Amino acid sequence: MNLLAISINHRTAPVELREALFLKKDEARSFIKLAKENLLKEGLILSTCNRTEIFGVPATSDLKHQKIQELLLNFKPAQNVNEDHFQKYFSRDAVKHLFSVATGIDSLLVGDNQVFKQVKDSFQIAEETNFAGYFMHRIFDSAIRAGKRAISETKISDGAVTVSYAAVQLTEKIFSKLNKKSALIIGTGETGEIAAKHLAGKGIGSLAVTNRTHEKAEKLAEELNAKVIPFLEFKESIFNFDIIISATSSHEILISKDDVKQAVKKRSNEPFILMDIAIPRDIDPESKKLDHVFYHDMDSLNVIVQQNLTKRKAEIPKVEKIIEEELNNFWEWYNSLQAAPAIKDLRELFEEIRSEEVDKNKNKFSSDDQEKLDIITKRIINKILHHPTIELRKNDNASGLGDASSKIGIIRDLFGLSSKQKPDKK
Amino acid sequence: MVSAIHTINILLPVFYLLTLAVYFYDFIKGEKKLINVKRVFLFITLFLHLIYIVLRTVAFDHPPITNVFEIFTILAITISFSYFLVELVSDIRGTGPFIIVLSFIFQLISSLFIQDLVEVKDVLRSNLLGTHVISALLGYSGFTISAVYGFLYLVLYKDIKLNRFGLIFNRLPNLEMLERLSLYSAVIGFITLTIAIIIGIIWLPVAFPNFSFFDPKIITTSLVWVLYGIGITSKVLGNWRGKRLVLLTISGFLVAIISTILSNFLAQSFHSFY
Repeated sequence: MNLLAISINHRTAPVELREALFLKKDEARSFIKLAKENLLKEGLILSTCNRTEIFGVPATSDLKHQKIQELLLNFKPAQNVNEDHFQKYFSRDAVKHLFSVATGIDSLLVGDNQVFKQVKDSFQIAEETNFAGYFMHRIFDSAIRAGKRAISETKISDGAVTVSYAAVQLTEKIFSKLNKKSALIIGTGETGEIAAKHLAGKGIGSLAVTNRTHEKAEKLAEELNAKVIPFLEFKESIFNFDIIISATSSHEILISKDDVKQAVKKRSNEPFILMDIAIPRDIDPESKKLDHVFYHDMDSLNVIVQQNLTKRKAEIPKVEKIIEEELNNFWEWYNSLQAAPAIKDLRELFEEIRSEEVDKNKNKFSSDDQEKLDIITKRIINKILHHPTIELRKNDNASGLGDASSKIGIIRDLFGLSSKQKPDKK
Repeated sequence: MVSAIHTINILLPVFYLLTLAVYFYDFIKGEKKLINVKRVFLFITLFLHLIYIVLRTVAFDHPPITNVFEIFTILAITISFSYFLVELVSDIRGTGPFIIVLSFIFQLISSLFIQDLVEVKDVLRSNLLGTHVISALLGYSGFTISAVYGFLYLVLYKDIKLNRFGLIFNRLPNLEMLERLSLYSAVIGFITLTIAIIIGIIWLPVAFPNFSFFDPKIITTSLVWVLYGIGITSKVLGNWRGKRLVLLTISGFLVAIISTILSNFLAQSFHSFY
């Protein structure tokens, strides 16, 4: 099978090099145009913060990975990127790699299902640009099926694997319904912003944000439909919130144990969650000693993250089994595109129809004519199938994903010959 | 029929143990596919238990509520049946083994010591006694389940505070839910125990000539009733919640258990006056 793939990813290159080769959606579209003109008949471009990968069926059989790399580096010049930063895949390995990516086992955070959506988006672009041909469609379908099975049949995506998400999941172990709770995010940097988005995504009842730079807080508040509390005043209102997530770059403690004690008193001992995901810490860690206070910092949240990552890694063999099954299914389909079995299946189908009709109607003929009927109908079938058989055999020796394979695939689809294969696992 | 009763009497602790094992296995493994399997086990056990109680009632011509070992078998089924309903209604997983283990213990003790009582005092065949005892048992089942949820609340509370994110953390429902389950069970227990007390106050002095309000069982039950009354009122008024509330449910349960042990095992009867 003539499928090539190159990949620069979190295992082969540092973030600055990955960033340099990252293709935005528009850039991906332009690159596809270029690739179609010069090198590839069909393919898929996947570009995320952790990887840029190009999968493609070469226009000529002598195309090497090197050419695709050169095309990418010419399109997006990046200093310091060299041969060693690329992984190269061919044929079955290329398909297997795409399945590994779609199922999340190749991700920096194992089981990250964000990449599943990114694979879907990439295919969308390939379709819009007519880059997704007959084979890429089939590969994509199998990749998506593998990804869905990995999520539903294994625990590869279970549990939080980022500190921000772990903080939010921990609150769910204390409160049963977040839609009746309120939260305050202190600090609207990247970590605070992600935590705020997770809370909003979980349907938090009311959300407020505060930040030293008021404008930043307002911007995030507008995006998440949250309230803004002036930074100098937030301490007086912490008792109004069930959940406080603090992620500032302050070098001093922002909330003392006494502040927390006062807040607990004002809250009539209602549970009070304090998530300190700042380094250095924003909330006095002594607060954890107070009753009804659930204080957690980076260290404790990292315990959850590490536990979840370990659990996810333990699921990798199960996902690999799914990948292998899907790969075998795909390969079975691919092998059916060889000329000889396709001709055999086609002839068998026609013969089945012919003999069925002859059997049904032969009593309408005299015993002498019945033999003639058999001979004549066989001759008709042979004549009908003669030209298609010659056409398919012409390319029987050609290897790879060529026009002949496409033709065979279409014939199989048209005559329902695919149904003779093992049904795909859903 | 009696031989069937004897056979089921031996089988019941085995069935409870098997059900407990399945629930415990599910607690450790957390496999989704076990949800229905464990419910089937519990259902079969409860069904067998129900047949056993019906057979006993028919064979010995009185419901099994006349002595402590008969009452233990009723407690076992009411506790597990209440949990079965909680699990079906709330779809909460992970708390089953901690409740079913109590049913197993009660049934085991009952199966070991229960006797075939054909002759009982006429007064113990009264319908009012039946209502009094059944409502008291439902009350105690409610308090038992409430205490289990309260205990689980405390364990999870401590685990979260101390950053212990193990099996308990992963399998139990959240703290708020445990508190709610503990409270609801306590409220149901309180209501049914109130009914038992009202019937007792009206009927017992008439039925038993030796009746005394200073009977240890009446005093301790009243104490348990007052404790839960204070707790529930405080929760309704919004003063008590969380840890303090579950500590009260556990204390109430301990007083109830100690009073049962004292009055039933030391005095060898349910009330001092019969």
